[in-house]
Amino acid sequence: MSGDDDGLRGALDRAAAYMLDATVLERIGIAIASTALALCIGLLIVAAAGHNPLLFANQLVIGSFGSERAVARTLTFSVLFVLAGIAVAIAFRAGVFNIGVQGQFIVGGFATVASIVSLAPYLPDGTVGGIVLMLVGTLAAVVAGGLYAALPGVLKAYGDANEIITTIMLNFIAIGFVGWLVAGRFSDPEATATRTERLPDNVGFPSVVFDDPNLSIVGIGATIAVVALIAVIMTRTSFGYDMVTSGHQESAATYSGVDAKRMIVSTMTLSGMVAGLTGAIFAIMIQGYFTDPSGIGNYGFDAIAVSLLAANNPVGVVPAGLLFGGLESAGSHIQINSDVPVQLIDGIVGLVVLFVAVPELFRMMAQRTGLGGDRE
Amino acid sequence: MTARKTPPAVRLESITKRFGDVVANDDVDFTLERGSIHALLGENGSGKTTLMSVLYGLYDQDEGTISVDGKPRTFDSPRDAMRAGVGMIHQHFQLVKPMTVLQNIVLGHEPTDNGLVDESAARAEIEEICSRYDFDVDQYLDTPVEELDLGAQQRVEIIKSLYRGAEILILDEPTAVLTPQEVERLMDVMNDLREDGHSLIFISHKLDEALTIADEITVLRDGEAIDTVRAEETTEQDLARMMVGREVLFDRLERETVPGEPALEVDGLRMHGDRGQEQVSSVDFTVREGEILGIAGVQGNGQSELVEGITGLRSVASGSVRFRGSDITGTSRRDRIEDGIAYIPEDRQTEGLVQEYSLVRNALLGNQTIEPYANGGMLDWTAVRDHAEEIIQEFDVHPPDADAGATSLSGGNQQKFIVGREIGHDPDVMVASHPTRGVDIGSIEFIHNRLIELRAEGLAIVVVSSKLEEIQKLADRIAVMYEGEFIDVVDPETVTEEELGLLMTGQRLEDEEGTGESESDRGVQA
Amino acid sequence: MSLTEYTGRKRVRIGALALVVLIVGGAGLTVRSGIALDRLFTAGFATRSVEMATPIALAAIGGLYAEKSGVFNIGLEGFMIFGAFSAAASMYALGGTSPTQGQVWLAVAVSAVISTLITVAFAVLLIRYEADQIVAGLAVWFIGLGFAPFTAAIIWGSRSSPGLASVNSVAFGQSPFVILTVLIVLASWVVLYRTRYGYWVQAAGENPEALDTAGVDVTRVRYATVIFSGAMAGLGGAVLLAHAGNFVGIGDTMVEGRGWIGIVAYLFGNYNPIGAAGAALLFGALDMLNVQFQTVGIEVSARLVNLLPYVAVIIVLSAWGKTRMPSSVGESYESED
Repeated sequence: MSGDDDGLRGALDRAAAYMLDATVLERIGIAIASTALALCIGLLIVAAAGHNPLLFANQLVIGSFGSERAVARTLTFSVLFVLAGIAVAIAFRAGVFNIGVQGQFIVGGFATVASIVSLAPYLPDGTVGGIVLMLVGTLAAVVAGGLYAALPGVLKAYGDANEIITTIMLNFIAIGFVGWLVAGRFSDPEATATRTERLPDNVGFPSVVFDDPNLSIVGIGATIAVVALIAVIMTRTSFGYDMVTSGHQESAATYSGVDAKRMIVSTMTLSGMVAGLTGAIFAIMIQGYFTDPSGIGNYGFDAIAVSLLAANNPVGVVPAGLLFGGLESAGSHIQINSDVPVQLIDGIVGLVVLFVAVPELFRMMAQRTGLGGDRE
Repeated sequence: MTARKTPPAVRLESITKRFGDVVANDDVDFTLERGSIHALLGENGSGKTTLMSVLYGLYDQDEGTISVDGKPRTFDSPRDAMRAGVGMIHQHFQLVKPMTVLQNIVLGHEPTDNGLVDESAARAEIEEICSRYDFDVDQYLDTPVEELDLGAQQRVEIIKSLYRGAEILILDEPTAVLTPQEVERLMDVMNDLREDGHSLIFISHKLDEALTIADEITVLRDGEAIDTVRAEETTEQDLARMMVGREVLFDRLERETVPGEPALEVDGLRMHGDRGQEQVSSVDFTVREGEILGIAGVQGNGQSELVEGITGLRSVASGSVRFRGSDITGTSRRDRIEDGIAYIPEDRQTEGLVQEYSLVRNALLGNQTIEPYANGGMLDWTAVRDHAEEIIQEFDVHPPDADAGATSLSGGNQQKFIVGREIGHDPDVMVASHPTRGVDIGSIEFIHNRLIELRAEGLAIVVVSSKLEEIQKLADRIAVMYEGEFIDVVDPETVTEEELGLLMTGQRLEDEEGTGESESDRGVQA
Repeated sequence: MSLTEYTGRKRVRIGALALVVLIVGGAGLTVRSGIALDRLFTAGFATRSVEMATPIALAAIGGLYAEKSGVFNIGLEGFMIFGAFSAAASMYALGGTSPTQGQVWLAVAVSAVISTLITVAFAVLLIRYEADQIVAGLAVWFIGLGFAPFTAAIIWGSRSSPGLASVNSVAFGQSPFVILTVLIVLASWVVLYRTRYGYWVQAAGENPEALDTAGVDVTRVRYATVIFSGAMAGLGGAVLLAHAGNFVGIGDTMVEGRGWIGIVAYLFGNYNPIGAAGAALLFGALDMLNVQFQTVGIEVSARLVNLLPYVAVIIVLSAWGKTRMPSSVGESYESED
């Protein structure tokens, strides 16, 4: 993994270099302001609903970082948000609006479970068999996610079909179709809830460092590796330069020899592969089976907010993903320990996205208040 | 016609307009008499459109005053100008394409009846205008504008201005998009309008048209008004001299090498434009190593498409492109970059540079698969940075900061950077499309010298430009492109500016100076 | 001119093709199951389809106006959620769990007003502050998905409401909102193609500069259409609720993608209000086919049949991708002065 280490160092170097860049500072400022403003509105709503906002704020902190269990839970959710956020960032950076990460995530996760469950009887029970199963399952997820994203890419490039609409439709289709499979052919007759059979016992990541059964260092390692890999691809490879340039200015990319149509398809495929991988980690590390996808968290949708908050920068996705992991984790805590309905967290996430979409608002506010008044 | 008692329709006094360091209009005076046609003549970039945009409220002048009908006016927007009776027919029509002709004409001034648009009232009024000026527009009032040819769209624009009560009409290069028959028709319309008391400003760079239609002609050059003359008292030769200037700014640089092997061969090339219309019709030429072929012509005669065909940005309809003997007609843009075809693009803002990138990142544009910047797909940013710094130094790019954003550079410096980068490819063929457009004098000189050095190094170079002096200075042969074909190929040492001007408007010369014999129906081979 | 003619013809052909495929598919299924078509396509099916299509058609009309004027309101789904929820909440506030018909009507009206107010804020962000239309529209959806169930939980202690009341049908077993929608569709057709405001809307989306030089304030036109689009989507949500009789806030809420389908409906209808309403009817019928299959005893998974509209959307969009968008959609416009 030394290549990744180099890549990570390179990425960190670049991140440090970016820090000096005024526009990057401005983006970080906007991200913080958006989050803060959204949280403030959230607290106001809590107060309006007749609850104590300070208590709620306190529970947010306790629920996300207040105990080892809370930290482990935050990290677990963060793994999903960071990975899914990377999937979104890849596409958005290249100027392609892949809103279908949720669907690709579901298809990927299901592919993992389906392939492992169908293959398990033919492999030995031990660790080796487990590792082979996990590799096959992960590969299946990456391929399935990639293909499921390539489809709207092809439709956009060669059929001129708006990818925003097609990917959203494919989300609904993924939820319905996988739900049908989970409830039908793949359902576990012995389970009370609608879900597939459990993965065999030899499939699962070891719980080192954390006691939490849902969090494995393997998951965290894989996430860091993906972040580093995508950061390296974006900043240090010809393909990444082609991709990012297409997102900035398609005419210049074409001038420099990029085939715009093919670029759309490759970007979508890469994005879907990461989304599929997210599904595999979700299935293996967290669930251990696959449930009806209509009840799975909106990781793929929230990932859009994560990526936007990070200005679609793969390194920036890490803190943004941690923030969302913390919020989600606090949500689980609040659900049990508070009367405030947990859906508030989703609403706050929506507000974050809304504010991120309006940088001009913050620029004007900064100007009015004299902060950063030197900018035009 | 010389009833000079009424105040002039428009009087512009001492108008100066600057864009940054560039002076687009320098102390220009201009007077449009009521009921007359006044031509504003000049080359591309001489400041004609800027001057009229000042009058039309699109730009604020830095100095000078405007008066309309004797009253001093300032227009903050075209809307204001419109209210004062000034209408402008732009080169890009201000029409809503999917809407019908009638809807376009009445837009914003719709007669209504019980809340609905009163089409019959509108129709009657438009028909009245049409019959007064003998327009055929009333024949297709219910047709969507996009289904009309450009000449008809232009007449819709004119009617639209008249419908809104314009007394003064500015026509910006109205003949540029028209066929000769349509030009004739437009001239008739303009005559009718003048007879009806309207005052017209006719922006053009075509001498013969100005002489035919205008009462007075003002010549602009480099942002200055050179002279205003009465049409019947001048000749094409005089006007050409005023447009181009007596003093020849650039001496031709003597060539030091003899052309070598053919590097770029184009045979029977046909290409389509964005809307599927034929833009290049059977062009043939060969450029040898150590030779510069200049392609002159009025913009929109197929030069852009031809260049895109050579550089691999647009697929060709038929014919072939050969590079050092091998057929590259079907290869991709990237293949051609890697083969060694460099390209200084027509539009540096959208194509040549990524605006949000630093110069370092822009130095990679087009080089992203080429060693030493890329190795097996991985980029070497140190090499790219060195390259950027090399370009900055060697091509005198200001500010000399590789981390500066592309937008922080002036047009000239951006262009020098692009030229430097493209030369850095170590190409065999260089295609330069308007290499000095919007570039300051110093940078022009610099870029020209570099192109000539490249020729000495044995590159085959194609230069497309609408600046005649540039083409004459650089080219070993000049092909004049008109309506998608080479109308003639001439020797830059013997051809005159006037002759080039005539060729650019599609008139063949009596005594051939070029190589090929003009075939009856086909373009000339270069 | 041949180009537009060509695409026009192509469009009609693809549309016809899609319909034929659907009918043949339906007939094939029916024949295989040995069930006569007349049992599948009943009068009740038609009524329910129309009712199902109503909210979609309303959202589509709104979205069409916004996009015609150059603003892509991708938040229709979110505005529908707001509409459905605020209708339920006001119905509950007015008449508890047994509101009268008058209160149902009043609730729908209140809901439309609330949606309009929310859209005003959205329009300011979009137009005044030049928000990214796509991201801001998605945000509206997220906000709706979060805050509607949140407030529901505060009011009812659960993400869904208890049973309230649905609107009584009037003539021919049809909901009065169906008739209202038909009127709105016709009126929006007339306004778009026969009044000066319609001309301005079209010009604002195609060539804002031309409209500006003609002396019409482009920004004002766009404000009007965006606010109208939110109001219509909100009304659509309210009507959905008034038909269903209770609010469902689990999963994607009771709106369940109808706002997205609304967008596709107007693309399918080529920005023509009547075409959009026709497309909405098609999607409504696809939606109801499921119920119909169950009634006649065809063994098809409900979940799979529910996917038909989405699949249809993708097929339509890909075959029909060249739907002509107004050329200035998504670009903010600043006047010269």
